[in-house]
Order: sequence, then C-alpha cells, then structure tokens
Amino acid sequence: MTGRFLRLTGTSGLILLACLLAAAVYIPVANQYIDPASPFHVNTASVVVFGKYLCFAILALSIDLVWGYCGILSLGHGAFFALGGYAMGMHLMREIGSRGVYGNPILPDFMVFLNWEKLPWFWHGFDQFWFAMGMVVLVPGALAFIFGFLAFRSRVTGVYLSIITQAMTFALMLAFFRNEMGFGGNNGLTDFKDVLGFDLQANSTRIGLYLLSIGALAGAFLICRAIVLSRLGKVLIAVRDAESRTRFIGYRVEHYKLFVFTVSAMMAGVAGALYVPQVGIINPGEFAPANSIEAVVWVAVGGRGTLVGAVIGGIGVNLGKSYLTGALPEVWLFALGGLFVVVTLFMPKGILGLLDRWRRKQIPADKAEQAGAEAEERA
Amino acid sequence: MARPLLLILQRIAFVLVLATAAFSAPAQAQSIPDLISRLAGADFDETEKVVEALAATGDASVAPILEALGEGDLYFRRADNAVFIARRGGSGYLLTDPITGAAAGEAGRRDVTKIRVNNSLRRSVRAAIGTLTLRSPDARVRITAAQSVLKSRDPEAIEPLTAAIEAEQDDSVRFVMERARAAAILNSDSDDATKITAVAKIAEKSDQEARAILLAASNGASAELGEAIAGAVNKVEGSLAMWSAVQNVWYGLSLGSVLLLAAIGLAITFGVMGVINMAHGEMVMIGAYVTYVVQELIRNHAPYLFDVSLLIALPLAFAIAGMVGMAIERGIIRFLYGRPLETLLATWGLSLILQQVVRSLFGPTNQEVGAPSWMSGAFELGGLTLTYGRVWIIVFAMVVFAVLVLVLRHTSFGLQMRAVTQNRRMASSMGIRTNWTDALTFGLGSGIAGVAGVALSQIDNVSPNLGQSYIIDSFLVVVFGGVGNLWGTLVGALSLGVLNKFLEPYAGAVLGKILVLVFIILFIQKRPRGLFALKGRAVES
Amino acid sequence: MNTLHKELTRTVLYLDGISVSFDGFKALNDLSFVVEPGEMRAIIGPNGAGKTTMMDVITGKTRPDVGTALFAGQHDLTKLDEASIAELGIGRKFQRPTVFESHTVRDNIVLSLAGKRRVFDTLFARSTEDEADKIDQVLDTIRLADRAGMMAADLSHGQKQWLEIGMLLAQDPSLLLVDEPVAGMTDAETVQTATLLKEIAKDHSVVVVEHDMSFVQDLGVMVTVLHEGSVLAEGSLDRVSADERVIDVYLGR
Repeated sequence: MTGRFLRLTGTSGLILLACLLAAAVYIPVANQYIDPASPFHVNTASVVVFGKYLCFAILALSIDLVWGYCGILSLGHGAFFALGGYAMGMHLMREIGSRGVYGNPILPDFMVFLNWEKLPWFWHGFDQFWFAMGMVVLVPGALAFIFGFLAFRSRVTGVYLSIITQAMTFALMLAFFRNEMGFGGNNGLTDFKDVLGFDLQANSTRIGLYLLSIGALAGAFLICRAIVLSRLGKVLIAVRDAESRTRFIGYRVEHYKLFVFTVSAMMAGVAGALYVPQVGIINPGEFAPANSIEAVVWVAVGGRGTLVGAVIGGIGVNLGKSYLTGALPEVWLFALGGLFVVVTLFMPKGILGLLDRWRRKQIPADKAEQAGAEAEERA
Repeated sequence: MARPLLLILQRIAFVLVLATAAFSAPAQAQSIPDLISRLAGADFDETEKVVEALAATGDASVAPILEALGEGDLYFRRADNAVFIARRGGSGYLLTDPITGAAAGEAGRRDVTKIRVNNSLRRSVRAAIGTLTLRSPDARVRITAAQSVLKSRDPEAIEPLTAAIEAEQDDSVRFVMERARAAAILNSDSDDATKITAVAKIAEKSDQEARAILLAASNGASAELGEAIAGAVNKVEGSLAMWSAVQNVWYGLSLGSVLLLAAIGLAITFGVMGVINMAHGEMVMIGAYVTYVVQELIRNHAPYLFDVSLLIALPLAFAIAGMVGMAIERGIIRFLYGRPLETLLATWGLSLILQQVVRSLFGPTNQEVGAPSWMSGAFELGGLTLTYGRVWIIVFAMVVFAVLVLVLRHTSFGLQMRAVTQNRRMASSMGIRTNWTDALTFGLGSGIAGVAGVALSQIDNVSPNLGQSYIIDSFLVVVFGGVGNLWGTLVGALSLGVLNKFLEPYAGAVLGKILVLVFIILFIQKRPRGLFALKGRAVES
Repeated sequence: MNTLHKELTRTVLYLDGISVSFDGFKALNDLSFVVEPGEMRAIIGPNGAGKTTMMDVITGKTRPDVGTALFAGQHDLTKLDEASIAELGIGRKFQRPTVFESHTVRDNIVLSLAGKRRVFDTLFARSTEDEADKIDQVLDTIRLADRAGMMAADLSHGQKQWLEIGMLLAQDPSLLLVDEPVAGMTDAETVQTATLLKEIAKDHSVVVVEHDMSFVQDLGVMVTVLHEGSVLAEGSLDRVSADERVIDVYLGR
C-alpha cells in the first residue's frame, strides 16, 4: 500500500505533500496560538495571501498538465480560472440576499443599479451551493470541450493554437466588460458576505478556505500524477514528442488532447473558485491575456513536465512578485520580463531541470564509465 | 479644357457684378447713411419703406443693421437723432456705429430710444436680410443664406429666392437655392403641381435633410402629392442605405489599413521567418514614441518644421525600431530558432521589459502627438465625409505594402531572404550569410512596425500600452490571411476591417469585435492555414 | 462484379487511378499499384517521384483528388483517418526515424502494442503477462532486448530505425510501409536491417521505399519504379534496371 502510494507521488512529490501538510498544520497554529509579537506569528492577511498562492499553484498544475505533458501551450487558461471564479462569485452574490446596498432579496446590487426587472436565466440555480459548485467545473469544462473539440479536430497545433486560445480569453474579457452580459461589467462581482453561512471576514473562515486550498492542491497534484503515470499519460507524452507517429500507430490524438484539455480546464476552474472567496472579488481583468501568459511563466520557471516544478513555480514566482511590487514596484515588470527571457534561454527545464542536472553531475564515476563504454560500442 | 474657361467666365461675371454694384450705388435716390438717419423717430410705415430701400441697395453691409433692427437692438440718440446699434452694458448702453461697426461710446438709458418694430416689420426685415445675403458677392455667404432657408423652410423666402436664382451664376449655389426654394414651397400653401415639382427637386440630393423635409411635407398632403412624396422618400432612403453601406466600407477599409499597418511587419517576422514575436506591438509603440520625440524637438527648436514632422519621424522610426529588432534577433531569438513556443514566451517577456523602459523614460500617461495641417480636416465625396487623416493612413498603408512587396520581389536582399527561409542549408552553401540575412529580415519587419507606429500615433493614444492593443489583432490578421503570404495579409486585414465595421451598427463596437474574434477562431478551425494557405507536403512536417 | 470483388479481396493493397495535386503541382498522377498478401515490394524512384505522397495517401494523411484506394479489398482508405487505418492494420515507418524520445525503449513498444486505443481504456490500462511476452519477443526481433530500459533519445541512429520497425511489429499490422529504412546506417547495420525485413516479410506484407540500390538488391524482391507520380516500370531489379526509360530518368543519370 505505501509502496503504491510512493510510486504515485514520487520522491519529490512526497516531499511536496509533506511540505503542504506542514503548512496546513503550522500556519493556522501560528495564526491562532502564537503571540502576535513573536516573529513566528502569521497574521490573517498573510494566511489569505498564502491561500491565494495555493490557488495559483493549482492553476500552474493545470497548465503544466496540458503544456508540459501534452505540448499544448494554452495562453487562455486564465479564462477557465476566471470562469470558475465567476461561478463561485455568482453563488456568493446570491448569498448576500437582502443584505445588499439596495436590499433586494433576489437581484444583486449591480442589477438593481442597472434597473433590471428580473434575474437573467443563467443566474438561476446559483443560490444553491452544490449547483454552483457543479458549474465551477462544468462551465470551464464545457468551454474547453467545445473549443478543444473544434481546434483539435481540425489539427490546430503549436503557436496557432496558442494564438487562438489567447484570442478566446481576450474575447471573453471584452464580453465580460459589457454590462449587458449580466456579470457586473467593469466592476465584476464583489461585496461578498458569507459562504454556507460562514462569515467571509471571519478569521476561522479564512483559515478554513486556506486549508481547503491546501487540500485542493494536494488533490490536484495526485490526480495529475495518476493521469501522468497511467498509460494515457504515456500517450500524452508521445503526442507531445511525435504527434504524427502517435497517430500512425493508431491513437486518436485529438481525443487525448481533448480529454486532458478539458480535465485541465476544470482544474483551473476549481482554482478560480477557491481564489474568489479569499480575495473577495472577481472582475473581467482576470480574463486579461497577460494573466494567462504570466501563469505560463510560473510553470516554465518551476520546470514544465514536472508537476512539482509547476507548484514551486506558481508559489515561488508569486512570492517574488509580492515582495517586488511592495519593495520596488518599478522593478517588478523588468523582473518578470527578464524571467521569461532567462528561463527560456538558459533553463528550458526550469528550476527542477537545473536541480536534476546538478544531481546528475554528482553521479558516481562508474556510471559515467559505463555510459562511455556504451558510446564506444555504438561507434 | 472646359472647366478653366468656365472659371474665367465666372470671374469676369463676378467682377462685372461688383462693378455695377459700385457704379449704381451713388445713382440711388439716397445713400445708406441718409436712409438710416430716416429711421430716427420713424413710424412703422416709414420704417418699412426704409427697410425696402435698404434692401434695394443690394449692399450686404446693411445686413447687420437690419438684423439689429429685427432684434430690437437699433436705437437713436435723442440729442442728435443719430442711429446706433446699442446693447446693454456699462451704466446704460454701449453704442456701435451701424455703418462702420466702430464703438461709439456709451449712453444713459434715457438718452436713447428704441426704433420700434412690429411683427409685419420683422417679417420684412427677415425677407430683406434674406434677399441681401442671397445677393452677396461672396458665394459662401449666399450658400449659407440658402441653407438657412433650407432649415427654416420659410415660405416668405420663396420670392427673394426666385429672384436670386435668376441672377445666380454659380451652379452649385443655384442648386442649394433651388433646393431651399423647393423646401419652402413644400412648407407653403402652393398648389399640388408646384409642390410635386418641388418634391422632385428635393429628392435630387439624397441626404437625411431631404428625408426630413419630405416626411414633414407628407403631413396632410393630398393623395397625389402623398404618392409623389412616398416615391421620393423611397428613392432617398434607398440611396441613403447605399451611401451608408459605402460609408461602412470606407470605415472598414480605414480600420483594415490600420490592421494592415500593424500586421505587415509581423507578416515578415512571423509569416516569412516563422518567428513568433510577441514584442512586435512594442516596435509599433517605439515608432509612435519616436514621432512624439521628433515633434517635441520640433516644437521647441524649429516650429516651422511641424508640418513635415511625420516625414522626419518616418525614417528615424524605421531605423530605431529596426535596430532594436536586430538586437533582439541577435541577442535572443537566434538561440530559439525551431522552438516557437519558447520564442513566444521570451519575446513576451521582452515586450514587458520594453514597455517598462518606455514607462520609466516617458511616464505611464498618454503623450500628445499632433496632426500636421495636411492631415486635419475633411472633404465630401458624394454622400461620404472623408477625413484627410484616414485617407492618408489608407494611402500610407498601401504604399508601405507596395514597397515591401517590391523589396521582396525585386531586390537581391529580398531574393536572399526568400532563399534563406526556404532552404537555409542550401542558401548558406551558396554563399549567403544566413545569420546576417536573419538579422536583416527581422530588422526589416521591426522597422516596418516602427513606421506603422508613426502612422498609428495619429489615431491612437501614444502610451506604453499602445503595442498591446495591436498584438492579438495583428497575429489574427496574419494567421487569417495565411502565414507566409503577404497578399493574404492584405486581404485578411482589409476584409476583417470591413467585417468589423459592418457588424458594428447591428451589434455595437464591443460585441462586433467579439463576433469578429469568434469568427476568426472558427475560421481557423475550418482552414487552419488561413485564407491563402500554402499547400503541400513541406508545410505539414 | 463478383469476380472482381473476389479478385480485390485477395489483394492487401489496391490503388487505382490515384491523383494528388498541390497548388497545380501533380504529386501523384493516375497511380495504380497492387500488393498481394505476404508480398514484399520495393519502390524506387528519383526525388519528387511521389513515393512519400503515396504513403501519405495509403495512411490517410493526404486525401487523393481522384482514385480508389482499398485495403484488403474492402476498406476505402480515402474515407478513413490515420488512427482508423492504423487500427485496420497498416503500419508506417517514416523517412526520418521518429520514436518517442522521452520514453524508454520498452514503453515505446508498449504504446505500439495492438490493443485498445480509446482514452479511457488507456487511463485504466494495466500491463499483463501476455503483453510482457509480446514485448520481449519484439525486442528480441529488433535486437534491442538489452536496451529495454534506455531512453529512446539515447539510442544510436540505426537503433532508432530498428526501434521504429519494432513499434510497427508490435502493432501487428498486415501491411507495413517502410520509408527509407537504411538512410544514414552503417554498412553492417544495413545488412542487418535487410535480414530483419526479410524475417518480417515471412508473415507480413511489406512495402519498402528505398534509394539504396545495393539494399534493394539484398532484399531480392519485385521492384516498382515511380516517376512523376505514376508507375514507370515493374519487375525484378535486373529487369527494371535494363529498361531504357528507367535508365533515362533515374539510374542512368
């Protein structure tokens, strides 16, 4: 049993899960029981920030699954993240009920403000928590399925696919900016009060959401690992490395791409849904193409094709971003831009790739000798 | 041949009219100052006579006096019966000499008396003014006068207009006058036959005004007249719809040429070289900032050069953006050939850096870039209003495109470039320095983006984000048109521009844009290689 | 009709009147070509003769403008996609060796094994003893048994060619299309490859496209000469190399 689990996680994965467990124990304890004056105390604002990073890490995982393992560079994953976020936001809006500024028990404030008479049809059902949770995965999943079905069937690949995914999120951004769409336009959805009766401002709720994010990240990681380790995962890598070869030995490449793209979009949707109650707002800016492409660089930095790398990238880059935008706001865009360039030029496999190379250099001499002998034999 | 002659004849006629006016003036019974002085203390009848006499002088300079009279601003001084235009001000009235228009001091409230007018007088005054301006030697004044009648549709104006039309020498002025008279007739109680002729006259030119006049006239019209009007309205509306379609095509071409400008450099770097340059938009931005800097220097040091500022900026923008492009190619892109996804990411990073550099240097706000005089203003063509700015951008886009095609087709650099992109190893073994060609090609694409920036600085905000707004559109244009095909880019840009503008009236600007994006996404599914795809075995591998 | 049908079902591959053009360039021009069961056929022809395009048509990558392409006398190849054609039992080896470089030699074979190809089948697939036996058998045939755990990327050029042939074998097709199997191989490897192909031809139909004349000689099979998209000559290598027209366009150059 443990052997199988270890095989599922891998060594680095086990370390990651251990770190997540430690963070799940330490941070709430440090927040609740350690004296605020102590350097080991973690304030609630930081808990929320960490929770946010965990959501980004899930997004990074979802991108790594399609890009790192199947070679599909999606520049539109931010759209799936945002759609999940909007689905969650819609539930939270309905939860506000008559506590809004205008006190309308059914209509969210922005609709009252726009003089809308009744709730648009697509807002129905979102007052039910489980319905909303279903939509969190179904809406991004359905979009990815339809988009992927069309794109993969006509064999749109490589940069062409990247460009149309970018166009997709751009079009969605423009659409959500419109008031007529019924998603709060420019301002998006905000002023949330509570979820399932728990006050979103309360310390305990925030810690709860943080723990939920850790759980979701661990779950997402294990799901990704299971997919990657299965024979299906091998087919995905085969598609990435030699698409037409895979086709000629009889695999319907488009079905595999469609499967992994849809799963990945659902995962991104979950990340968005966890993100929204923690930051307290979702607006069309989340659809901005720059967001999606920034998420891609997290994966590139951590090391694409390694799930642990994606998590490290998602959390690490955002830590750096928070630090730099606070300390040296001018520098952040230089740093981010530089990161793109440096990673692609000098560390194509990211941080984990570097570690790997460094570890290989430490390989005992006899193995190197063996490799040399093999080379001779070949010649 | 005929036109210059006509012009000369017109000039001669004009001079003759002026001459007669000058000679006939002293022959009048009374001079203008005499007539005006008769107004002091005159009763309504007397005033009426003076107004008629003033109108009869045909001298446009009395128009302001009549206007003042009509508005009740004409007074005479009790002390000496001198007539003034007076307006409230100071302790009482500010006086203006009615003939010279010069200030003539002040007067207390009790010192002056208003020259009174009643409604019938006001009508005469208005008619007199109409007649006077309709006879003005200045064609523009005559047209303005006729157009004011076209708006007021005052039946009183029919007679003076008829007289003016008979005397009118200028065809275009006469046309407006006839239209004005027709409008006035439709508003009068003339008989149906006259009105039907007038309807035909109005319908000669199809614009919103004609439609409004006709619709207004259809109220309470007899059956026969109503029918005539309905027919005319149909004709006008058909023609209006046609012109609005033409207008949409024009706007579409204009938008299309903007897209073309933005995409054309990309057609080289992406289409020909296969390099995904996400910093392409920033090359456009650099071009726009070069324009800004050039204009700033000119404003501060040589304002008389302002009208040629864009011409100075063009080669500079080409050179600077081109050099930045070559530096990017040598510094980054050449290490990433054959790895398009990595190139995409690296150049995106680069675009962030370039934006931040510009933001640090010039600040995050929009910079003011002015339009030279030859680019401002507009002119009419049929039912279209064309602004010079748009016309020049279309012309410019076409010129850039043509030059590019010529360079690729007919220069040795173009030949080398095509050779390298088609078969690098072969080209290299034939003695072409492929590295150098790569750098130059990329520089060319970037330089063209810079040149596009000069043009786009005229229609868009010059800010560090300028490039961002074009990058997605440009890529879609190139992909839509068919990668590796310049003509495809041309057709792609123009057709997307026109499509966008045709959707806008129905869907609104934002939804129109969304629909275009969705259209392209679906189109790429149908034809993954674009409109004009290269077909064959080689492109697949 | 009936006799024709019987005639057809006896063939493994039946191409008749196939034409393909790319922007006015005729890559295949009224090509007709038949392969009998168990037959090994070599195809030669100068560059641009249409050899690769013919492979593309057979495997469903390129659709012909006109013409009939039947597999086993009943499956219309012009209507099927690559995956279905592969499932019917046509395997193809590319001109440049393409193997899955980030997989081990063994995994390369695992992926190629005949079996269910649907997404959810592969998601829950387990390795079985039968599979393992089959894999070992294939690895033995292609002489890579001792390198089963190596990354395919680390193989030599010749070994990659063999691995690719091995992947075809694992697919267990009734027809193998092999495009230039010995390009870039050493002489020793070339001879070994010829032996390997002959071994395979015992229970498969094989079509080999090759430039290397001595290799074709080694195979000792019927030869079809393609020129400008259609068949120029057919027969034993000795016979076609004596043909005037063949000498003109190809051999005698």
